[in-house]
Amino acid sequence: MEAVFFWVLATALVICATAVVLFRNPVTNAVCLVAGLAVQAALFVTLEANFLAAVQVIVYAGAVMVLFLFVIMLLDVREEARRTIPWVKVGGVGIVVLAAGLGIPRVIQAFPSAKKPLHWGEGVVSGSARDLGTLLFQGYGPLFLATGVLLLVATIGVVVLCRRDPEA
Amino acid sequence: MIAYAPYLILLLPLFSAAAIRFFLHPFPRISVSLSTLACLGSFLGALTLLLLGTPEGGMSTPTLPWVEIGTWKAGFGLLGDPLARMMAVVVSGIALLVHIYSIGYLAHDSSRSRFFAELSLFVFSMLGIVYADNLVTMFIFWELVGLSSYLLIGFWMDRPAAGAAANKAFLVNRIGDFGFILGILGTWSLFGTFQFSDLTSRVASSPSGWVVTAVGLALFCGCLGKSAQFPLHVWLPDSMEGPTPVSSLLHAATMVVAGVYMLIRVLPVLALSQVTMTTIAWIGGLMTLLPALIACQQDDIKRILAYSTLSEIAYMVMAVGLGVPGAAMYHLTTHAFFKCLLFLAAGSAIHGCHEEQDIWKMGGLGKRMPFTAVVTILGTIALCGIPPVSGFWSKDEIFTATAHHPGLAAVSMVAGFFTSFFMLRMILIAFCGEPRSEGARHAHEGTFSMITPMFVLAVLSVLGGLLPVDSFLGGAKEENHASWTLWISLIVALAGFVPAYHFYRHAIREPLSLNILRQKFYVDEFYQNVLVASQDGLGRLADAFEGWVVRGFVVRGSGVVARAAGQGLRLVQCGQVQAYAAVFILGVMLLMGWILMGGGVK
Amino acid sequence: MIFSEITLGHYLALSSLLFVIGLAGVILRRSLLIIMMSLELLLNAANLALVAVGRFQGIPDPQVAVFFVITVAAAEVALGLAILVAIFRIKKTTAADQLAGLRF
Repeated sequence: MEAVFFWVLATALVICATAVVLFRNPVTNAVCLVAGLAVQAALFVTLEANFLAAVQVIVYAGAVMVLFLFVIMLLDVREEARRTIPWVKVGGVGIVVLAAGLGIPRVIQAFPSAKKPLHWGEGVVSGSARDLGTLLFQGYGPLFLATGVLLLVATIGVVVLCRRDPEA
Repeated sequence: MIAYAPYLILLLPLFSAAAIRFFLHPFPRISVSLSTLACLGSFLGALTLLLLGTPEGGMSTPTLPWVEIGTWKAGFGLLGDPLARMMAVVVSGIALLVHIYSIGYLAHDSSRSRFFAELSLFVFSMLGIVYADNLVTMFIFWELVGLSSYLLIGFWMDRPAAGAAANKAFLVNRIGDFGFILGILGTWSLFGTFQFSDLTSRVASSPSGWVVTAVGLALFCGCLGKSAQFPLHVWLPDSMEGPTPVSSLLHAATMVVAGVYMLIRVLPVLALSQVTMTTIAWIGGLMTLLPALIACQQDDIKRILAYSTLSEIAYMVMAVGLGVPGAAMYHLTTHAFFKCLLFLAAGSAIHGCHEEQDIWKMGGLGKRMPFTAVVTILGTIALCGIPPVSGFWSKDEIFTATAHHPGLAAVSMVAGFFTSFFMLRMILIAFCGEPRSEGARHAHEGTFSMITPMFVLAVLSVLGGLLPVDSFLGGAKEENHASWTLWISLIVALAGFVPAYHFYRHAIREPLSLNILRQKFYVDEFYQNVLVASQDGLGRLADAFEGWVVRGFVVRGSGVVARAAGQGLRLVQCGQVQAYAAVFILGVMLLMGWILMGGGVK
Repeated sequence: MIFSEITLGHYLALSSLLFVIGLAGVILRRSLLIIMMSLELLLNAANLALVAVGRFQGIPDPQVAVFFVITVAAAEVALGLAILVAIFRIKKTTAADQLAGLRF
C-alpha cells in the first residue's frame, strides 16, 4: 500500500512541477502549482505528518497561491513569448543535474536508517497537532515568537512597498 | 693672555664683514674704511704676536669641545706656534696691501661695500686656517675660504662668465675636499687625534703600510683642490674672471697656498710613507712644467700670471714632497710678495688701458706707465729666480733639495727655462713696441692708493731674501748649497730669455702657433667631454630609469593593475538576478562537493 | 525491491528531483512570477526532505522546522509580490532580464 501511494503521488508531483516550469501561461502555472502543493500534502500524510499536511493545504495552497493568483490577475500578465534559451544556461543546469545525480546517493547512504522500509502505524514519530504543538511551544518557544515578529515585519513591508506616492 | 690673541686677530675682520654685510651696505666709504682698518688691526696683531713670541712656544688655547661621540672628539681651537705666526703676518700683510690697492682700483664701482665685506670674510677665514690647531677647525675655515673665493670670483654678478668660473672653482675644490675629509677621518682612525701638536708625538709609534699611504694621499687631495694641482688645476685660470685684487690676494698669495700650508701641518703623517712623499714630489715636479708650457701661448695677461702661479705652487709642493718644508715656506713667502706685485701691476696695466686684458692689444706701456713697467720687471726677475732678488734665494733652496733626484731636478729646471720665456714674452708684448689699441694709446698710471702697495711689494720682492725667515721656521734647512744646482738653474733661467727676445722683440702678432699649448693640453675639453658627458649620461640613465621603471612601472603600473582588476571584476556585476542565482548555486555545489569528499569537519 | 519497499532514499531522491526542477525554473524562465513559483517548488522540496528524514530517523523536530519554513515562505511570497507590483508599476514589465539596473 505504501508503495502504491508513493509511486502515484510521486509521479503526479513530478508532472505538476515540470508543468510549472514548462508552461508559459502564468495562470496555468499557478494552477499546476496548487495541484502540486496538494499532492505534496498527500505525501506528507504518507509520512504520517498529518498536521503538516493540513497546514500545507491551508496556508500554502490556500493563502500563498491565492496571493499569487491575485497578483497575476491584478497585473494582467501576458503569456510569456517563445524564445530560445541560451545554451549556457541549459548547460549550467545540466551540470547541476549531473552533480546532484552523483552526490545524492552518497548523502542518502549517510543516514543510518537509509535501508529501513516504510510501514504505517509504527508509531515512530507522532505527527499529531498536540504533540507537534507541545514540541513547538516548549522546545522552540523563542523561535516561534521570532517568527511572529517576522510576519509582522513582512506585513508592514508589504504595506509600505505597495503604497503609491502621495500626489504632490 | 697672549695665547688668546689669535681670537682677537680673527674677530676683527669677522666683525668688519658682519657689520658691512648687515648695516653698512649703503655707505661705501665707511665700509671701505672699516674693512681696511680691521685688516690693519689684524696685521698689527699678527706682527706683535710674531715679535713677542718665543721660537718654540706653542701658545695654544684650550680646545673648545664641539662634537663628542664616545671617544671621538672634534674641537675648535687656535694655535699660535711659530709657523702660524709667520704665515699670519704674511697673509694679513698682503691682505692689507690689497685692501689699500682696492680702494683705488674699485673707486668707481657701485658695489664696493659688498666687495670689502667679502674681502674681510676672506681674511677672517684665511687667518682661521693659519691659526687652526686641529684638522677639523682647519676644515671649517677651509670651506669658508672656498665660500669667500666663490663670492669674490663671481663679484661682478652681471657677467655670466664670472658666475661660471665661480661655480667651477667651488665644485673642483669640493672634489678635493672629498679626499680631504677622508684623509681627516683616516687620521683619526690611525692616530686617535686631530690636533697638529699631537701628531708629531703619535706618529712615532704608528704602523706603516698601505693605510698610512692612503691617508696621506687623501690629505694630499685637499691640497690638490685648494692649491690647484693636477688634476684639479682647471679652476685657477678661470678664476681670473674676478677683479684683479681678488686674483692677487686669493689666487696668488694666500688662498692657493693654503694647501701647501696644510701639507706642512700634516707632514708627520705624510712622511710615514715614502710612496706618499714620492707622489707629492712628482706631482709637484710635473706641475712646474705643465703650466709653464701652457703660459707660453696665452694672450690674457692675467691668465699668464695664473699659470705661472700654478707652476710656482708646484715648486712648493715638490719641496714638501722632498721633505724640506722650510724651503717651501720660504718660497711661499717670497712668492707671495712678487706674485702679488705682478698681479697688482697687471691690474694697473688693465686699469690703465681701460679694462683691456689681451696683451696683443696693449703695447708701448713702458713709456706711458713707467712705474708699472719697472715693478713688473722687478717682479719678473724675482719670479725667474735671478740673483740677487728674493725669488732667487727661495728657488735655489728648492733646487738644492732636488740635487739627489735628477729627474725632478731636470723637470723643474726646464720649467724655469720656460718661465723665463713666457715672462719676457709678456713684458715685451705688453710694455714694449708701439701701442696697438686706443686704450693702450691713452694709458696712464693709477692713483696713489694703487701705487703705494706696489711700491711696498717691490721693495719686499727685492729685499725679501734678506729676511730672517729661517729663524721662524721649524723646518729643516739645507745648510750646504750644492753649487752645481745653483749654477745650472741660473744658466737655464737666463737661457730662457734668449728665444723670447728673439721671437717677440718686434712682434705685432703671435709668431708661434702651438695649439696644444694654447688649448691648455685639452684638459678642460677632456673633463667636459669625458667626465661631464658621462655624468650627463648617467643622469639620463637615471632619468630614464625613473621615468620607465619607477614612474611607469611601479606607480602607473600599480594603478593600471588596480584599474584592470576593477574592470575585470566589474563584469561580474551584470545585473541579471538569474545569473547571480546561478553562480550562487554553483558555489553551494562546490562547497557541498567538498564536504562530501571528506573535507571540513570530520 | 526498489518499487515495493519505500525507503528514505526514495523520498530523498524525489525531493532532489523536485529541487532540480525548481532550480531549472528559476534559472531558465524569464517572467518573474514564474521564477517565484519555482522558488516555491524549491522550498517544497526542502520540506519534503525534512519530513522524510524526520519520519525515518524517528525525530519530531524536522516537523517543527517545516512549520517555520512554511511560515517564512508565506512572508517571503508576500514581500516578493509586493516588490513585483512596485516594479511593475514603474517598468511595466516583469521580465527578469529587463530589470538589470544594478549593473556597473
